[in-house]
Amino acid sequence: MPSRPSPMALQSSSPQPSIFRKKSTPAMSSAASYLSAVSEADARARAHGGTPSSTPALSLSSSVTTSSSDTVLDDPDAEFDDALSYPRNPPTSEQVFTTVHSEFGHCANEQYRFMSQHKPGTPYRSYPEQDPPHYILLTTYLSYLLVICLGHLRDFVGKRFRRSAYRHLLAHDGYAALNSDFDSFYTRRLKTRIDDCFSHPVTGVPGRTILLLDRYSPDYNVTMHPTGTRTRGLNISSYNYLGFAQARGGCADAVEACINRYGVSSCGTRLEGGSLDLHEQAEALVAKFVGQEDSMICSMGFATNSTVIPALVSKGSLVISDEFNHASIRFGVRVSGANVRTFKHNNMKSLENLLREVISQGQPKTHRPWKKILVIVEGLFSMEGTLANLPVIMELKKKYKFYLFVDEAHSIGALGPHGRGVADYFGINPRNIDILMGTFTKSFGAAGGYISGSKALIDGLRLRAHTGTYTEAMTPPVLMQVVASMASIMGISPAPSSNTAVQEVAELERHPGTAPMSLLPSWMPLSPAMVDGSDGQMRLRRIAFNSRYLNRGLRRLGFITYGCADSPVIPLLLFNPGKMAVFSRMMRTRAVPIVVVVVAYPATPLVTSRVRFCVSAAHTKEDMDMVLTACDEIGDLLDLKQGQGERWPLQEIIDRAVELVNMPEDS
Amino acid sequence: MSTTASSLEPLFTLVAQSYETLESTFYKIPGSAVIARYVKSSHRDDPGRTLLEVILIIFAIRTLLQSRTKAEASGKHFIEFSEKEIGELVDEWSPEPLAQPLNEAERAELDSVPVVVGPTGPKPKLANGKTVLNLASYNFAGLAGNQIIKERCIDILRRYGLGSCSPPGFYGSQDVQTQLEQDIADFLGTEDAILYSQAFSTISSVIPAFCKRGDIIVADRSVNFAIQKGLQISRCTVRWYDHNDMESLQHVLESVEKERIKKNWPLTRRFIVTEGIFEHDGVMSDLPKLIELKLKYKYRLILDESVSFGSVGRTGRGLTELYNVPVSQVDMLVGSVANGLTATGGFCAGSHIVVKHQRINGTSYVFSAAMPPLMTVAASEGISVLRNTPSILTTLQENIRVVRAILDKVDCITIPSHNASAVIHINVRTPSSTPAPAQLLSPTPLSPAIPATPLSPSSAKLSNPTSVRPRHPVQFDAELEERLLQDIVDDALAQGVLITRAKRLRDQELIGARPSIRLAISAAMSKKDCEKAANVIKTSCVKVLSRRR
Ligand SMILES: Cc1ncc(COP(=O)(O)O)c(C=O)c1O
Repeated sequence: MPSRPSPMALQSSSPQPSIFRKKSTPAMSSAASYLSAVSEADARARAHGGTPSSTPALSLSSSVTTSSSDTVLDDPDAEFDDALSYPRNPPTSEQVFTTVHSEFGHCANEQYRFMSQHKPGTPYRSYPEQDPPHYILLTTYLSYLLVICLGHLRDFVGKRFRRSAYRHLLAHDGYAALNSDFDSFYTRRLKTRIDDCFSHPVTGVPGRTILLLDRYSPDYNVTMHPTGTRTRGLNISSYNYLGFAQARGGCADAVEACINRYGVSSCGTRLEGGSLDLHEQAEALVAKFVGQEDSMICSMGFATNSTVIPALVSKGSLVISDEFNHASIRFGVRVSGANVRTFKHNNMKSLENLLREVISQGQPKTHRPWKKILVIVEGLFSMEGTLANLPVIMELKKKYKFYLFVDEAHSIGALGPHGRGVADYFGINPRNIDILMGTFTKSFGAAGGYISGSKALIDGLRLRAHTGTYTEAMTPPVLMQVVASMASIMGISPAPSSNTAVQEVAELERHPGTAPMSLLPSWMPLSPAMVDGSDGQMRLRRIAFNSRYLNRGLRRLGFITYGCADSPVIPLLLFNPGKMAVFSRMMRTRAVPIVVVVVAYPATPLVTSRVRFCVSAAHTKEDMDMVLTACDEIGDLLDLKQGQGERWPLQEIIDRAVELVNMPEDS
Repeated sequence: MSTTASSLEPLFTLVAQSYETLESTFYKIPGSAVIARYVKSSHRDDPGRTLLEVILIIFAIRTLLQSRTKAEASGKHFIEFSEKEIGELVDEWSPEPLAQPLNEAERAELDSVPVVVGPTGPKPKLANGKTVLNLASYNFAGLAGNQIIKERCIDILRRYGLGSCSPPGFYGSQDVQTQLEQDIADFLGTEDAILYSQAFSTISSVIPAFCKRGDIIVADRSVNFAIQKGLQISRCTVRWYDHNDMESLQHVLESVEKERIKKNWPLTRRFIVTEGIFEHDGVMSDLPKLIELKLKYKYRLILDESVSFGSVGRTGRGLTELYNVPVSQVDMLVGSVANGLTATGGFCAGSHIVVKHQRINGTSYVFSAAMPPLMTVAASEGISVLRNTPSILTTLQENIRVVRAILDKVDCITIPSHNASAVIHINVRTPSSTPAPAQLLSPTPLSPAIPATPLSPSSAKLSNPTSVRPRHPVQFDAELEERLLQDIVDDALAQGVLITRAKRLRDQELIGARPSIRLAISAAMSKKDCEKAANVIKTSCVKVLSRRR
């Protein structure tokens, strides 16, 4: 499906993507011309009487963009005029960027910054969920009905005339089918139709941009074959919230040093000889970061939930779970043997009613009181963009005496003025929350997860959770990425030489504080931006701006989105299943391709198929403009602009972005 | 009313059957009121549409009815309280503490966990500054610290960064990950393979991906904890056979078949789930016999090779290589990349169909981020090392032989593990226990030996397949043995040898395995060091266990 702008789109005031190319003067068709553009810009800056440029690059431990070892410069296929590999306005060397533009966008404009924080004293509110017009709902149901009927028809005919193709779906030779035609119906007849939107093979850094390995299917998505070509697209899909997916920069330097020193494995489980000093350092740092007494690290985020929850609750306990909680939480709860009840997503009334019911009724049949009640919510829901309503939950917690488990997989790093997650965002003391869990796969660009809480609790979990006994310990390179990225967000306080011991303890206790040098490996290379915390601050403020800008921009364009305005996860509702594939393909085949995630049933309710954007600190304002432009055009074509509320034309949104972001309340 | 309902029943079921899938998807309808409004308005506009609407309503009503019956089931015990009473009950309720503080023994256990400072390997340095001989860490082929792997990883780091930042379904399928899947499949000789990002979470997702309620699993009584969790999640019918006892397996398969015919069960999926080398005790499965039985009774075989992959066979391909059986006979071969290739993660290898199914149904594959690219490359390099240097596995077997030659002669312990197993479990010998089975003294360790003969006398009645407890459980005092073994571990550490007890969650395992010390032999260690370490362990065992009497 090529992206052909409709007449409507042509009328709009939006610039066509091709304008990007025309505008870029001089045309940067090669690395050499890019470099010369940089020096020209330098010359211009000098002519304007700017301060003489210092020699900033020398003090940095990592290569700057213009170094010849740049990944993109090495890349023979890279296009230099695609607005992805290089910025349209080349930076002057006064603006020192220690990053590669294709991994982490260059954005020096200090206006494009914001702070992610809940306004104290106001209740939490996400956008009210708007229902689409009735004809959209109806056509959605009808299209499901149609594809289901067609699918059954094709199965009916196929089973009679093409038996061999169905052999593995039917019982044969006395074996039941591994996956019967009935069980696999949804996958075969619905998902396969749009399989080109899923599991796309990629290569390289999943940063601001990503390299897709192109593929084609000769048989309607049954098989896929690589074409051998690659396409660089703007990546608004990876969970790279703070932009730490980087092959250059302070974190990568630290990881390289770590691999040289430690190798790549810790060879065993934590309790059976797989514990390294690095584990202990990282755990102390994580505890400091999230503001809890202690923490435990697990080598997989999913397993952090699935192997720890059984150590927290068991038979006779009750878990109260948000209906949209992640599969790993459900897995863990099921293994634990505890009873489960769910409440409606983020609906505090439903939660309170449920609490009153279960506490008064006690355990089923016996009516014995529950041993304990654990409420599990996610900090930021990854398909909805909503935040857990912590202020209310904390009130309920006081009243109903339940324990609270917050899964901060998506919110840690991505929310809050200090990047410490939802508690930070709402200004709640993390120690009042019993268990804070999170993963490193998202904001930190690493892998694995942590669980944190009081020292007594965590010590117990080290022995009683499945993690320490049975799962492989986290590997040194991953640990190092965690430590380096976390230290980068926190900033590093110098070694306490003159401080008294008392001061030192006070410093360790301060939250949200900096990373004490004593918690970092002594050999870890440190870049200046990491030490003074400016790198982390920049990331936090950029993601806050980008999230708010895209969120509000999409609403102003008239789209229906869910969630909170500060959420970096932005679901844009498509409803009709057919629009998912078209949306994804149109985005991918634009002049500047944009890579998006589309999700539908069973990950979402049946009617609310959606595209999910994951905003990153690595994106620039121009990237957000690009996404808005693309959505504007495609939204007109696909009739997606069904939202209510005030609308602005695209150009106005782009021009008044800063104003839009800083507006206190959005209608 | 009820008669019309019952006479309409066939019609209902007919509609329901033809759109059953649709029905299950419609559970999520956001409320019947909306639909009711719809039908009214659309009927006014266009009566032809009403038919479709009616179908939708039928589903909505069914959904409602079903949820009402569910509510009633739990409602039988529902007690009405006034608001005030509820308030009082809420005030009265006081929960147990979330975490019990550690008791003294647990504190001691946590404090005794060794911490390696710097890189791990055959001779790591511990927190107390001492350099020790390491027989605790999984490093079978000695890949830890391999210079080539390090260099490749740094190269990949500089091209891919560290994390994959996405699940495989959404732009997380890095080419290097696909490459590792291909490498594993090629190495083992299967059609395809799928990579999970943690070994422990692999099989506990593989089993429920295939085995649903109503399916039948026949499993060994001594399967590892990850399998136990997989069985628990899958909710299928589980039958147990005695640990590594093929006669018992045959008996169970036979009894299931009889039961099926008697109760006229429909044909469902049937699986045998077992391990290659058992994590609990190092015993090796008799793979040819397993395959013979599974073919005879038409079961599929899920084989967990977490311990054997990368440690047995001429080049480390595991049991299929050792026994020289075609790998296609193992339907789902699960292994650990973390143990076998000293990286991280796990895999399931099998046919295209088996793998493709998991890409949509393997919970911890779908809902978790893909492995970091550099770890997949470390594993790929590991495979190429194994392929190109068969001498590594020979060295490993030599080292195992050296250690066994010393430890097998110690009277106060027993070693249940197979002679070729790189994981060696040491049990305390109860003073009255029977002499070591003949198998342990088998002179040809590389050839697959006869499986351990069941300890129960053949005249005894067979165990009950529906219960995980065997009829003749081995009696032991777990607490006492654990204490003795920990004393041995501590003593060996004082002599400069790092070993560990096999740690287990005794209260959560289905049946408590006998406490043991678990050695992991590495090819990276010299023969002399192996000898030295084994002698230290021997001395410690003798010292601690002779004190006991
Ligand atoms: C809420 C939540 N918890 C846990 C996880 C699992 O984390 P990982 O991908 O690190 O396994 C995810 C990942 O998507 C998640 O969204």
